Amino acid sequence: MDLRLTDYVLYLVASVLLTRGIKTSFVEGTTDYNLVVGAKGSAAQLVLNVVFRLDSPLPNISMSTYEDLREDRRVEVAVPVAMGDAYRGFRYVATTPAYFATAPWRSRPFAVTAGRFARDDPAGQPGYEAVLGAEVARRTGLGIGDRFYEGEEMAAYPLTVVGILRPRRSADDRAIFLSLPSYWGMNEIARAMTIKPLTAVLIRPRRLADLPGLHRQLNVSAQTQAVFPSAVLLGIFNLLDLAEDVLALILTLVAIVVGLYLFVSMYGATWERRREIATMRALGARRATILRIVLLECGVITASGGAAGLVGGHALAYVGAQVVAGRAGVVADPFALGLLQPAVLGGAVLIGTLAGLLPAVMAYRMEVAEHLAPLS
Amino acid sequence: MGRPIRLGLGVLLSLAWLGLAPLAEGQERPRLTFAELADSIRANFDLTQHIRSYAGREVEIQGFIVPAGPPDLSFFLLSRVSALGNYCCEVPTGQDETVYVFAPRGVTLRYDPLRVYRIRGLFEAGKHVDPTWGVSMFRIRGAQVEEAVGAKIFKVGDTTAPAAKP
Repeated sequence: MDLRLTDYVLYLVASVLLTRGIKTSFVEGTTDYNLVVGAKGSAAQLVLNVVFRLDSPLPNISMSTYEDLREDRRVEVAVPVAMGDAYRGFRYVATTPAYFATAPWRSRPFAVTAGRFARDDPAGQPGYEAVLGAEVARRTGLGIGDRFYEGEEMAAYPLTVVGILRPRRSADDRAIFLSLPSYWGMNEIARAMTIKPLTAVLIRPRRLADLPGLHRQLNVSAQTQAVFPSAVLLGIFNLLDLAEDVLALILTLVAIVVGLYLFVSMYGATWERRREIATMRALGARRATILRIVLLECGVITASGGAAGLVGGHALAYVGAQVVAGRAGVVADPFALGLLQPAVLGGAVLIGTLAGLLPAVMAYRMEVAEHLAPLS
Repeated sequence: MGRPIRLGLGVLLSLAWLGLAPLAEGQERPRLTFAELADSIRANFDLTQHIRSYAGREVEIQGFIVPAGPPDLSFFLLSRVSALGNYCCEVPTGQDETVYVFAPRGVTLRYDPLRVYRIRGLFEAGKHVDPTWGVSMFRIRGAQVEEAVGAKIFKVGDTTAPAAKP
């Protein structure tokens, strides 16, 4: 087994699995809404915060923006969202029951594994009920009926767990949902405001063909911006692709170096064994047999190194996925199987065989008499 | 003729066919424009016979990608106007300037909201209600997407691009 090849395969497999896993996680975890409307600022920040619960929220927009959109004849569903602080790192997300409502366009309907969804509190009458994402319930140990708060100033407004969501493999698993009146009630500034604040409005239009017009109208406004979540993700993917291209270039160069190293190793090993080879020939081994033995040796060395690298790569990807999940909440599958594994293994054997070709030919052409002469 | 020569000739002919086949296909595939689509719409979601005659055929159309669907671009809108042109003088109008594009295997090329893309696929015309994507007038299924370098997007009322008459 060749350790340099093992190292190479290990890093190759781990980096590909993590990059692909992060992309897949973003694709699977994206929203079914077509437009996210928020305050002017970074489009990426708006989507990462509202859809993926990463980054910090943009400044607030007013509730009247939501009310205008709800009345717009082009809009089928408008869902208000307000991003709050966090409990043990899990974000408070205030919204209405519309966020959880069943619709034919939803890729995954919402369901609770325990309890129920929060009530739609009337304005000014907060119920302080919380529905936990599956990951929140698992990590915090909170159950139905438990009351919780974080920070002394929140002690007067504890939330009561009334439901736990079924796992969705999205950022919703890491959110604590509550009603908008509860959210406004917990916040001293919002309590005093006549027109209540929101972070964003999620939009699903009646006809997708109306989206470009709606998008343009909201963007020319001085107060709001409208963002296609997929456009932001595609921008992020473009950056990831750039990083992948650089990585591919580096890995190609490393593959050439590993191939050269293997070649030098095999050449040296064959040269060291020239007497053994000559003896085999003298005992009747044919030239083709010698060629096959040397090539087979290269194949076995690289195949075992490649296989060890594959196993190590998955292990490293697992560790990396845990770190990424802990820091960013993006869950990459470190054990995803596909064309990668056979391609890497086949590539490793090919590199080894190519590197061993010249030493094998050298062994093939070795003169018996010359190398069976006495050493001293 | 010896076997190696026959084999070599076969390989050469296959390569020539592979090289020429896309060109031949490209010559036969009609190119639709947003101007034609807009002109074809009549009252009550009706369409002209001319545009209906393209239904079920492979067509080509150029426009801007509006990523209204999933980020793998297995579904997206093709529009005459870019989604990013917030300060542009033109405002997108709706059904007549939007084609629903279905690319079952997704799109692998780099997305740029300011680039024009060439879409090829099976054309469908007429009102259709999809449970996920809603009502549409024009659709392209099994789409192949590539960047259209130096392409011009025809506005409503402009001269239409040359298209093969069905």
